[in-house]
Amino acid sequence: MGVTVRSSFKGALEILSLWGLLLVSCASVHAQTEIRFVTWRPDTPWVWDQAIADFEAQNPGVKIVREVGPHSSTEFHDLVTQKLRNRDPQMDVFFMDVIWPAEFASAGWALPLDRFFSPAERKEFLEAPIQANTYQGRIYGVPVFIDAGLLYYRKDLLEKHGFSPPRTWPELVNQAKLILAKERDPQLTGFSGQFKQYEGLICNMMEYILSNGGSLWDEGQRKSTLNLPKAKEAVKFVRDQMIGEISHRGVLAYQEPESLALFTEGRAIFHRNWPYAWEAANDPKRSKISGKAGMEPLPAFPGGKSVATLGGWQLGISRFSRKPELAWKFIAFMTGKETQKRIALFTARAPTRKQLYHDPEVLKKNPQFESQFETFLRAVPRPPTPVYIPLSNIMQRYFSSAIVVPDSNLDELASLASRDMDRVLDLLREKSLP
Amino acid sequence: MSHSHRLALQFLLPSFLFVLIFTLFPIVESFHLSFYRLILTLPWLGQKFVGWENYRDLLTDPVALHSLTTTLMFVAVTTPLEALLGLGMALVLNESFQGRGPLRAIVLIPWAIPTVVSSQMWRFIFNDRYGLFNFFLFGDSTGLYLAPLADPRLAPIAIMVAEIWKTTSFAFLIILAGLQAIPNDLYEAASIDGATAWQKFRYITFPLLKPALLLALLFRTIDALRVFDLVFVMTQGGPADATNVLQFYGYKKSFAEGMIGYGSVISVVVFFLSLLLSLIYIRSIGSRMLETVEAR
Repeated sequence: MGVTVRSSFKGALEILSLWGLLLVSCASVHAQTEIRFVTWRPDTPWVWDQAIADFEAQNPGVKIVREVGPHSSTEFHDLVTQKLRNRDPQMDVFFMDVIWPAEFASAGWALPLDRFFSPAERKEFLEAPIQANTYQGRIYGVPVFIDAGLLYYRKDLLEKHGFSPPRTWPELVNQAKLILAKERDPQLTGFSGQFKQYEGLICNMMEYILSNGGSLWDEGQRKSTLNLPKAKEAVKFVRDQMIGEISHRGVLAYQEPESLALFTEGRAIFHRNWPYAWEAANDPKRSKISGKAGMEPLPAFPGGKSVATLGGWQLGISRFSRKPELAWKFIAFMTGKETQKRIALFTARAPTRKQLYHDPEVLKKNPQFESQFETFLRAVPRPPTPVYIPLSNIMQRYFSSAIVVPDSNLDELASLASRDMDRVLDLLREKSLP
Repeated sequence: MSHSHRLALQFLLPSFLFVLIFTLFPIVESFHLSFYRLILTLPWLGQKFVGWENYRDLLTDPVALHSLTTTLMFVAVTTPLEALLGLGMALVLNESFQGRGPLRAIVLIPWAIPTVVSSQMWRFIFNDRYGLFNFFLFGDSTGLYLAPLADPRLAPIAIMVAEIWKTTSFAFLIILAGLQAIPNDLYEAASIDGATAWQKFRYITFPLLKPALLLALLFRTIDALRVFDLVFVMTQGGPADATNVLQFYGYKKSFAEGMIGYGSVISVVVFFLSLLLSLIYIRSIGSRMLETVEAR
């Protein structure tokens, strides 16, 4: 038996190694020229296609190979981190959500970009996203566009009932209740936001908690602050005054697209979303309320300051890329003035270069950028930490449990969540093993 | 060793290697990793041996215990219903009538659709604004529309419905095969003796079908215990963690949070749970099933 088995085994090995050779030779033929870019499908693909084509035209022999991942941030995270964990040298450039740079930096997955991205150049960009891309003094990504939470409202309905846009959350609730009572339209709801158990829930809840003077956790003390009165008050307000009061319970399963659809169909008085919603709400082809929408900074609680959660996407380079120089060239092109301007002009995604907010051409096409600029300057990032994802999962669970059940035991839920968060934060105190 | 034996071993070798590399190795490795604390995003903490700590943490983790109950509930509701519905369908489609062939093919369609696609479909069906579910229940009275995926009591049921819709066909397939193996002369003899349809079912069909039925239950139980894709697409574990099944929780720990040790513990627990349930099933059918197989 031994001989035959061994020889067939050898044969199999030979075939395997042949395959290996073939693969290696295929890779080396293109090694000099291909940049693999892991991205998601953009809303306006042609703008990106054109930018990439221009880059390839300017750099003969370079080909950008796009690998399109899922659009949801959570699922995209799983894809990119899987490649990084496997030290995949194929991936050169990837998109990063604003909450990932600290994690990617700490894990040794993202390449520090300090030697490419000079401090002077960084000054050209908005401050908040640059901060979000910085971890322990080094920079790991270049922001492509910025997002920040904004309040959208039905200008026509507010005017009809003699209201000006609300400055505080209780004011918003009162206006919504009065308008709902007078309109008597069973289709109409007071408020639509993102309250599904997912990352967007953190963005929404953070705006309530911080605008009430609370916080998610204390970065210096490394302690959860969700069980402090200010934070609990805000959560209680959302549970008792908004969900099931002025919002129908369906919002508890909504992400951005569903909540936006409600607003653009004319079925919501108030709506919380990112800047792109302005374009969608005013596009007569997609929206029934084109021209009737207003936009303001989000309300605060009485005595608090309005808070907009910072969002947005950055480009980073994999530490396992074999062509970091070329990868940087590509990133510099995609985040350069011209490409940024093109993206700002044709996609209505808010650019990250400050200069573009004073560019007459951009402002003519997207006049909303002028009023959004203030919000972008003040946008608050979710606290950067390498353990953001585990903390987020705990908070998502807590917020969802707290607001979904009308008589949830807030004190108990908050102290459970805080205990779990503290355990995760404690990991950051530990020094490396000897 | 005879020549045919040698040949048989050679033929077995590839699948043996396959199982070794792709099944046995990951199981052993998960078991191994479950005794360590390994956090990918904090590489400086290293891979620290912690003994049974991860297991102790799991036992005191209310989220994990809640996941376990959710998962067991899911198994307990879906598998018997699937077997029952599959049995009904198989009994009907075992009779000969016009159009039986196409109908049998149609019944298999839900099973042939990738779960991710059918989950997306059910997510639309359960939508609170334009979902067919609401339309069938309430028609145009949109004020009454429910949001099943936003309600912690309804969301698990919605997931169960999607699962039952999809995998009943699988139970049907196995049970139908079992039905076809029952020799016709038994029924003929029963007819001559004047047995009613119910008596034929009770004393011929059911006893002879038992192995197939248990086999269907076994496969479905193991599969339902590992439910993941439905939850991933339809609810992401929410609302209020009501659909956070074990496999999804473990996936989040290992793949999203990078907590490899703790994630492995969850995998190991799911593995032993399925092993335990399989052993119980195989115990109860084992000998009998083998007898029937050999008799054929």
